[in-house]
Amino acid sequence: MSEKYSRLSIRSSALTIVISIALVLTLLGITSLVVLKAKSVSDYVKENITVTVFLDETAKDADIIALQKSIDASPYRRATVYVSKEEAAKKLQEDLGEDFIKTLGFNPLQPSIEISLRAAYANNDSIAWIEKELREDTQVKDVYYQKSMVSAMNENINQITIGILIFSGLLLLISIGLINNTIRLAIYSKRFLIRTMNLVGATQGFIRRPFVLSGIRNGIFGAIVAIALISGIIYGLDHVPDFHFIGITDLKTLAILYGLVTVLGIFIAWICTALAVRKYLRQDIDSLYKN
Amino acid sequence: MGLDTIISLEQVSIFQKHTMVLANVSFHIDKGEFVYLVGKTGSGKSSLMRTLYADVPLKHGKITIAGYDLSTIRRKEIPYLRRKLGIVFQDFQLLYDRNVNENLFFVMRATGWKNKNEMQDRAQEVLDKVGLATKGHKMPHELSGGEQQRVSIARALVNDPEVILADEPTGNLDPDTSEGIIRLLIDISKNGRAVLVATHDVLQINRNPSRTLRCENGDVNDSVAVNESTSS
Repeated sequence: MSEKYSRLSIRSSALTIVISIALVLTLLGITSLVVLKAKSVSDYVKENITVTVFLDETAKDADIIALQKSIDASPYRRATVYVSKEEAAKKLQEDLGEDFIKTLGFNPLQPSIEISLRAAYANNDSIAWIEKELREDTQVKDVYYQKSMVSAMNENINQITIGILIFSGLLLLISIGLINNTIRLAIYSKRFLIRTMNLVGATQGFIRRPFVLSGIRNGIFGAIVAIALISGIIYGLDHVPDFHFIGITDLKTLAILYGLVTVLGIFIAWICTALAVRKYLRQDIDSLYKN
Repeated sequence: MGLDTIISLEQVSIFQKHTMVLANVSFHIDKGEFVYLVGKTGSGKSSLMRTLYADVPLKHGKITIAGYDLSTIRRKEIPYLRRKLGIVFQDFQLLYDRNVNENLFFVMRATGWKNKNEMQDRAQEVLDKVGLATKGHKMPHELSGGEQQRVSIARALVNDPEVILADEPTGNLDPDTSEGIIRLLIDISKNGRAVLVATHDVLQINRNPSRTLRCENGDVNDSVAVNESTSS
């Protein structure tokens, strides 16, 4: 074995650790992004819930505008759209593909205001309260929303959030386990070197230091590679129209995400290296041969 | 125990894991003494050596070595004890990922040396002493077994230790190379260091006779004590 080969082998072992750390951190980063963006996604879904307020056909324009203004001023409103009797008919005609007014001889539809709710109010309790408040207005004939869909959606979002959190926790544990295993294997191959260092009078701190520094360096390189991979994935997702709504390239989120990946990379590599070296520092020669 | 005593064992029991292999061992070794520790495989030589450099904890009795009491030594103090000892192993235990000079520099850095020029001078000095003046840039695997053992001895000498403990230093070497190593260790002892060599190499003991501690039947018999009792 030449010196060149030995150095090559050390570099290849470090490269394996960096790649392992990078892949695990990428997976963790993507999961963290999902966790960080889970609220945006759930808010997006919740804010698509609409409450339709049917108005009295005889209501005057001024009253309707006043009602819409009062809804616009309320805290639960994200957006309101006034749909006149004619607009409603036109839309229904487009949906049905036939002129129902001609068949019926009159337009049975009512003018309405469609309210998109803020996410915090998109639950049955709040909507019931909103409905009660709206009904107090004499212009309002009826208030309609899909009660069963709202409760099903909230239930699903809660379950998905719990699921994501459990998955993230498990993934974090598995990640630490995987990185720990890779680092431990690399240090295992140097267990006799550690023993020799121990026997020539090096203190435990002196022996541990270069291993820990190299572990931290591998953690940093792993984090850099992971950040590059995550950036590539985010760039790709940002160009998919369906994902654009969650604001995936929001700078604050990216800063938190990249910071988290770097800190996790360094922390996991540091702790795993220190623990692995500690194990071999304390083992006697018989255990070193058995392991 | 005289002023020159550097290793002292009193009523020591030596264990291999949980089995006691030597009981009530007592002997002293003075500065400048060259002593053989002999015995069959499994007789407890290596366990006694490992106890002396605190690789195996002392469970019973009292050992004082290079000023450290092994019955009260703390884990933190062990590296500092080992800096006062030069340890030579049968399998050399060099750092195979760095060259000879770096092997010596590692020990120096680990034991507080800072000045690079002083480190280079000291490395050259000890390599000269073991006859490897021109081999500093070689990797350990590029050296013969005898040369690797000389590097191991040079490494043991780097910090000018008071005691050299050599555990089967000739175990992997041919008779001629072995004789060279034993003579080197004897020369080192003549400079005032105590040298304890665990070996079963009878040929070398016959060629270079010296005080011998014999491990047999769970006991250590000292040739000096035997000779004294025979002559009186």
